[in-house]
Amino acid sequence: MKKIQVFDPALCCSSGVCGTDVDQALVDFSANADSVRQAGAHIERFNLAQQPMAFAGNPTVKAFLERSGQEGLPLVLVDGEVALAGRYPTRADLMRWAGIVPISTEAKPQSGCCSGSSSCD
Amino acid sequence: MNFLTAAPHFLFFTGKGGVGKTSIACATAVTLAAQGKRVLLVSTDPASNVGQVFGIAIGNHVTTITAVPGLSALEIDPQQAAQAYRDRIVGPVRGLLPDAVVKGIEEQLSGACTTEIAAFDEFTGLLTDADLTTRYDHIIFDTAPTGHTIRMLQLPGAWSGFLDEGKGDASCLGPLAGLDKQRSQYKAAVDALSDPQRTRLVLVARAQPSALREVARTQQELTAIGFANQFLIVNGVFPAGEVHGDPLAMAIRAREQSAIADMPAPLRTLPFDCIDLRAFNLVGLEALRQLLTPTATLEPAQAEAWQAPAARALAVLVDEIARDGHGLVMLMGKGGVGKTTLAAAVAVELAHRGLPVHLTTSDPAAHLVETLKGSMEHLTVSRIDPHAETARYRQHVLDIKGKSLDAHGRALLEEDLRSPCTEEIAVFQAFSRIIREAGRQFVVMDTAPTGHTLLLLDATGAYHREVARQMGAGMRYTTPMMQLQDPRQTKVLLVTLAETTPVLEAANLQSDLRRAGIEPWAWVINNSVAAAHPQSPLLRRRARNELPEIDAVATRHAVRYAVVPLLAEEPVGVARLLELGRRS
Repeated sequence: MKKIQVFDPALCCSSGVCGTDVDQALVDFSANADSVRQAGAHIERFNLAQQPMAFAGNPTVKAFLERSGQEGLPLVLVDGEVALAGRYPTRADLMRWAGIVPISTEAKPQSGCCSGSSSCD
Repeated sequence: MNFLTAAPHFLFFTGKGGVGKTSIACATAVTLAAQGKRVLLVSTDPASNVGQVFGIAIGNHVTTITAVPGLSALEIDPQQAAQAYRDRIVGPVRGLLPDAVVKGIEEQLSGACTTEIAAFDEFTGLLTDADLTTRYDHIIFDTAPTGHTIRMLQLPGAWSGFLDEGKGDASCLGPLAGLDKQRSQYKAAVDALSDPQRTRLVLVARAQPSALREVARTQQELTAIGFANQFLIVNGVFPAGEVHGDPLAMAIRAREQSAIADMPAPLRTLPFDCIDLRAFNLVGLEALRQLLTPTATLEPAQAEAWQAPAARALAVLVDEIARDGHGLVMLMGKGGVGKTTLAAAVAVELAHRGLPVHLTTSDPAAHLVETLKGSMEHLTVSRIDPHAETARYRQHVLDIKGKSLDAHGRALLEEDLRSPCTEEIAVFQAFSRIIREAGRQFVVMDTAPTGHTLLLLDATGAYHREVARQMGAGMRYTTPMMQLQDPRQTKVLLVTLAETTPVLEAANLQSDLRRAGIEPWAWVINNSVAAAHPQSPLLRRRARNELPEIDAVATRHAVRYAVVPLLAEEPVGVARLLELGRRS
């Protein structure tokens, strides 16, 4: 099983309710991560405001922060290598990385897994 | 004094800044110690003058007060506790991560929630330490945790995830994950707080309708979470024997007595004490011993001469504001210092000069502003209702976020949404809509976001600027933050009273704003007794005590300032508001 690590920007809270507006991307991602986790995927999240050592201690993440700054987050690593940056992964992304095959087509409507991607086949 | 009768082990005093909690807590400690009790006094006042009161340095460790047998004291600075927490999180990555990133983390950890939780963490140790409990008969706190903090800790969902795993998944309790105590210890602290055999909560207020309404809200909130043992103190009441025919003193006395007679119904059920307004500064043991005992009235001969402060009318500040022809004027300061009144006075003064003004208030009791509606040419009046704005925002979040959560998660999210930050953000959205008008006319507001909120929101501003940059030259994009930082567009007036704690709180607000790149334009000292030229010996003493505070504002804190006198009558209506701005 591949390990998916998500490095969030500095959030007062991971629900994002403390931001200017509730970030829909954050809400969707939290729900997607939960459901894919339940399907057996290994997903870890790190909040820059609460676990900055996780960022500083990982050379890939540290180098990314030095190059792109906090504005470049979130950053997603799969088995330690950069898989995605600047936006949250979709449900389909997560399942593909975790090697989980969708059982049926009854994907939840909020997942938006098919938008602009051919990974739902 | 009712609140001293059969005092339990823990005594908490709660109320707004400047109502005299610390003085009453000190006097209580001295009184109980004089009865032969072993007492520990815990102060969380960031301006803690407990050391000054007893004439020794105390600080963050239990110190024996040799002048008072049986008494020890401890000072906790919640800001310092929050800073220690930030250092613990941020310290290890300083120098490892880019400076801008470290700064961003610190800002996220600078909210009211972090300070509240860090202070609660300090209390927890004191409430659950068996050794301390046996060593002292009474532990007296000059402040109490808020209802929000306690409710958060009572939620079972709060403990299920991040505290046990240290993963930090929820907002307001996030900081607890970085602290070192165990779940059982926090639970024991909450249990001790809600046990009437062990804990008494004393609500402290001034004899003002708005202050009593606010205390009534606190009372209901704390009753709902199981704080059953509550007492009420109305502090600083003008004594009948001190009026001496002074019209100002008479008016104050009448106003206060009617506020007490009309206090909200739930407060009437509480055991109640009145403490007289004193002429002296509460420094030194003798002053403290007198606070809770009746005193003889002052003789007119005891009122010594003093030099009244130099005249500084609000209208002089308005002259300078008016020159620009338009702009945003924000009155900022803690609750109860009179922001709404002064905002109305500034707006009326501008409109009187024929300038277009939009006055907007978020004060729920803004009858003063309501009376101005349609009463003056060039003046429009509107209101931001913080409760309505917050309720709408809360519902919006629950609708979209709540659907993916289980019952525990939802309860936790609902409590998060009751945090002080949430209201600030909700009100900020309404606020942003209105301040855009300031390019065409004057907009005068009695409210404003804190520096912390502005910095958090500026993350969005930075994003917007980036978008604008990518869209090419010629595109102008102004975020609210950019507007507030520009002194030509925005003038911030810090409002305070000429008393130690309010001045200190205003100075803290000023440094908070400076952190956000906003320089307050002027200070306004409101309700000054010294500027009111009183006759009664008591008021003349009080007036003299204001002088060092006025001097501190003039010489240390403010670039420019005004002093507005305490009035006998509430300044309602155009004529009285104009007069208020012009008196000095």
